[in-house]
Amino acid sequence: MDVAFFVSLLAHTVQAGTPLLLGTVGEIYAERSGVLNLGVEGMMAMGALTAFATSFYTGNIGLALALAMIAAALLSLVHAFLSITMRANQIVSGLAITILGLGLSGFLGKPMIGMTALHLSSFSIPILADIPVVGPILFSQDILVYTSIFAALVLWFVLFKTRLGLNVRSVGENPAMADSLGLNVYLIRYVCVLVGGAMAGLAGAYLSLLYTPLWIEGMTAGKGWIVIALTIFATWNPLRAIFGAYLFGGVIALQFRLQAIGIGTEAPQFLLMLPYLTTIVALVLISLEAVRRRMGVPAALGLPYVRGES
Amino acid sequence: MPVVSLVLGFLSAAPLFLAVGVNPILAYRQVLGVFVNVDGLTESFTRAIPLLLASIGLCLPFKMNFWNIGAEGQLFMGAFAATAIVFMLPDSSAFVLLGSMMIAGFIFGGIWGLIPAYLKARLETNEVLTTLMLNFVAILWVDYLVYGPWRDPEGFGFPLTPMFPLNARLPWIPGTRIHAGLIVGLVCAVLVYIFLARTRWGYELKVTGESRLAAKYAGIDYLKLTLLVMFIGGGLAGLAGMGLVSGIVLRLRHGISPGYGFSAIIIAWLARLNPLAAVPVSILFGGLLVAGDALQIGLGLAFATTSVFQALILLFVVGAEVLTRYKVALTWE
Amino acid sequence: MKGIVKRFPGVDANDHVDFELQAGEAHGLLGENGAGKTTLMNVLYGILRPDEGEIYIRGEKVDIGSPREALNLGIGMVHQHFKLVEPHTVLENILLGLKEPAFILNVKDAANKVLEISKRYELPIDPEARIWQLSMGERQRVEILKALYRGAKILVLDEPTSVLTPPETRELFRFIAQMAREGRSVVFITHKLDEVMAVSDRVTVLRAGRNVDTLDREQLEKTKLASMMVGREVLFTLSKSPVVPGEPVLQLNQVTVMGDKGFPAVKNLTLAIRKGEILGVAGIAGNGQRELTEAIAGMRPILSGQVRLSGKEIHRESISRRIEDGIAYVPEDRVGVAAPQGLTVAQDLILRRYRQKPFSNGVFLNQNEIDNNAETLIKEFKIMVSGKDAPARTLSGGNLQKLILARELSGKPRLIVAVYPTRGLDVGATEYIRSLLLKQREARSAVLMVSEDLDEILSLSDRIAVMYGGEIVGTFPASEANVEEIGLMMGGSLRKT
Repeated sequence: MDVAFFVSLLAHTVQAGTPLLLGTVGEIYAERSGVLNLGVEGMMAMGALTAFATSFYTGNIGLALALAMIAAALLSLVHAFLSITMRANQIVSGLAITILGLGLSGFLGKPMIGMTALHLSSFSIPILADIPVVGPILFSQDILVYTSIFAALVLWFVLFKTRLGLNVRSVGENPAMADSLGLNVYLIRYVCVLVGGAMAGLAGAYLSLLYTPLWIEGMTAGKGWIVIALTIFATWNPLRAIFGAYLFGGVIALQFRLQAIGIGTEAPQFLLMLPYLTTIVALVLISLEAVRRRMGVPAALGLPYVRGES
Repeated sequence: MPVVSLVLGFLSAAPLFLAVGVNPILAYRQVLGVFVNVDGLTESFTRAIPLLLASIGLCLPFKMNFWNIGAEGQLFMGAFAATAIVFMLPDSSAFVLLGSMMIAGFIFGGIWGLIPAYLKARLETNEVLTTLMLNFVAILWVDYLVYGPWRDPEGFGFPLTPMFPLNARLPWIPGTRIHAGLIVGLVCAVLVYIFLARTRWGYELKVTGESRLAAKYAGIDYLKLTLLVMFIGGGLAGLAGMGLVSGIVLRLRHGISPGYGFSAIIIAWLARLNPLAAVPVSILFGGLLVAGDALQIGLGLAFATTSVFQALILLFVVGAEVLTRYKVALTWE
Repeated sequence: MKGIVKRFPGVDANDHVDFELQAGEAHGLLGENGAGKTTLMNVLYGILRPDEGEIYIRGEKVDIGSPREALNLGIGMVHQHFKLVEPHTVLENILLGLKEPAFILNVKDAANKVLEISKRYELPIDPEARIWQLSMGERQRVEILKALYRGAKILVLDEPTSVLTPPETRELFRFIAQMAREGRSVVFITHKLDEVMAVSDRVTVLRAGRNVDTLDREQLEKTKLASMMVGREVLFTLSKSPVVPGEPVLQLNQVTVMGDKGFPAVKNLTLAIRKGEILGVAGIAGNGQRELTEAIAGMRPILSGQVRLSGKEIHRESISRRIEDGIAYVPEDRVGVAAPQGLTVAQDLILRRYRQKPFSNGVFLNQNEIDNNAETLIKEFKIMVSGKDAPARTLSGGNLQKLILARELSGKPRLIVAVYPTRGLDVGATEYIRSLLLKQREARSAVLMVSEDLDEILSLSDRIAVMYGGEIVGTFPASEANVEEIGLMMGGSLRKT
């Protein structure tokens, strides 16, 4: 293991962490507004498919990203409709969306299995990218990497420092009160869920346009579920999400890199287990502090809101 | 009402078929064709067996609002345990062997369910995520075994164990692939129904499902109840896994379950957590799986079509359920 | 408001109600539970839409579709259950829902404005404090400031004194008077006669959804108001037969119980209740009564001290053991805890007893016995319900409480812990519940009753204990009770142990 290994590990970490970060920031918004969205995996799959298909047929990356976000957002709209307006059980609704999204992406993607499409390319920021070690990692990535960090920062600011963010947080803590003060609880929740969906779609697009060179079934490989775990791990704070996303991305990258240099080829599965086990450990740690984290979990998370019921 | 939403969900897939250039009528004919011929019907029953066992197992934790998303992993652990028994006692009589496999499958599936149950009951750790994560760990554990130490040396490198000897095979109805697991499933359905309706634990589940504080007030021990229920639930999923390796596939391999554990969640929900209702629903879903194969072979569609059907049906049922809830609320006043 | 009609399925909450509020007046809205007072004000505040009727503000007809519209018209409301977001700061709660500042929250200007208003009305508050750190009285101040910040000219207060100490109540009345002097109007919803008489310029009485009458200050008289409220002669005292108390059933010695906010809610409390006696625990809600009763019932662990039931140390016992020991517990939360709404009446009637024979043999439930039990209790306690298999949610408040008491009392308990047993119930149900407690006393059970209703405490209890700040600040026989002193004790100004 030398510097080159280290550098490639970190570069891979960033790439692995980016879809996680994109998805998590979106999910933070949905959950802060009080809606539990378990459909992230399905939305990411749809985003991946849409982006790939668009790129395959039109070669236009920008369009691919946009359509991916829209497709995933449409899927999240179904979940929003069921959870918010129809007040259905949010866990079941989210699971149904995941199965639907995964199924649809497999169903519609069948003709494209094995094909490649035009990719996101990385670009290097001049001068900065030449700094040894740090350069290739930080300054020679593709646009979505920078976008993801930017999005996390912006959304953190919005959530905590603006009126919009205050509204979202209040809707997730005490929707009855927010409603009585004239906030449109339903609209805010809808928007937040759609944001969550769009971000998941973007994350999926990243996976199919950059991470994996060709289309295969099962592109998302459980990353959507990790996003949900990350949301809790980051205690619904976009800044902590950055840290968490790269931590988890690092675990995934580590497993790949170790395999690449021949460690653990006999039993690569144990390394693959790491992200999942890490999540469980993280969950246990969080729940130990759960009492002190009173300020963490949005109080109305997972509960449908009905005006007039107190 | 549930039948209507089932049909609606089913039909709503039509535009999707058009989108991939397939005539929906042909597709539906393929699907319905499964149910009208004997082979299709028996195959539906066969595929239904693991679904039935797993979904019955889910009725219990769901009743107390314990969201066990880990049936898939519990299933894998049961399959693993059953296979381990075959390796350990290859020369026993069928009776002893099969019996031990069932017990091992149940126990290991149950243990896999106990972990998230304990974490939730003691530390309030979110069970949706713990059960989910454990799925992947279990799947990877089986992968390790079938790619590694348990791999069939004559398997051309494929990730599977050697075929099970005859004494490790569950008896089956000749001419079909329906195996004894069906009887086990039906018996369990009745047992679990009685458990829910007539025993004190069924009552405790109901109360806990209403409110944990009310359960505490009633003197219910949440820890004991959760552990018991998840052990049984996980155990039933484990039995499903045992049935898969011992009744159908006759070996352990990578991807032994193509998501049965997740489908079981849908089935339990559609059956409104009633184990008896889970029987027909499981058979229906079994039929959908067979149809998925038929569509793949006949029309070149992805096997994922089945998931699409399942999800659409679920969505419609969820929607319909909400509507009925409204009607009930209004009629009571 | 003219001819307001608001119908709910099964009941006309407001039946052609008229209500007139003048500028600069403090107007009391009096009535029992279910009289329609809160409904009427919810219509005014835009939470509910009237089925018929009109509303005129300063002579102009208005249609109030939402609280936001009400606020725009200058109408503010402080509800009984505060609508505050606990993890957020006072300022964030006040600013929520406003148009300014539109984008980035400019904290300084807003904070100054809040402090200015708070000083003007003498309602001290720290804008940066988080709601969960505040007492109930302080939270109410936040609610009021919320309305004032938006320039409310009409302020509706729904049962505001239910969470206040006597000194805080006096402060509130002073504030109301100040509002009135400035030309603003205050509507004061209550069922407490003394208060409405102390503060109102006029009083409107509602009964069963209809107007009874509106009286001016000079015409106010307690017994007159009471009979208007209830529609019949109200007896303020209940007849109690003399019972000689026996040996102690419950003994608490130096008990400390942790509260939800991280500090002890009950501190070194020592108390004893004897057989055949009713101990009434008085005090403003939030001074540790709930935590105390939860500790006795087993719902909450104790940090230190001893809890003895007939001499046996029970503080480590599970709830199911305490049920077997004969502790009956009637908690504050009826629908969420004591009688889950999704269960049937029959199922709720065995909620705490399902483990016992004959209802279960350890594994199976005996449905026959459960049904018989339900039918017997329904008849005996006159629970109005369509059938034993009806869902609990179809019961009215009074009948639900009857169900809970029927269940708890049918096991012949040694100790009955009742928390706010008649809160929110109409007079008929209230009298019945109280008579049940008295009967238990005659049957030589011990009763620990926590109540906010001083009349109830005075008329039912043999001995009275007053709680303040997690401690007992006074214990004495009911015959020695002095309302003045009790009030002072409740407010923390007096100790008499």
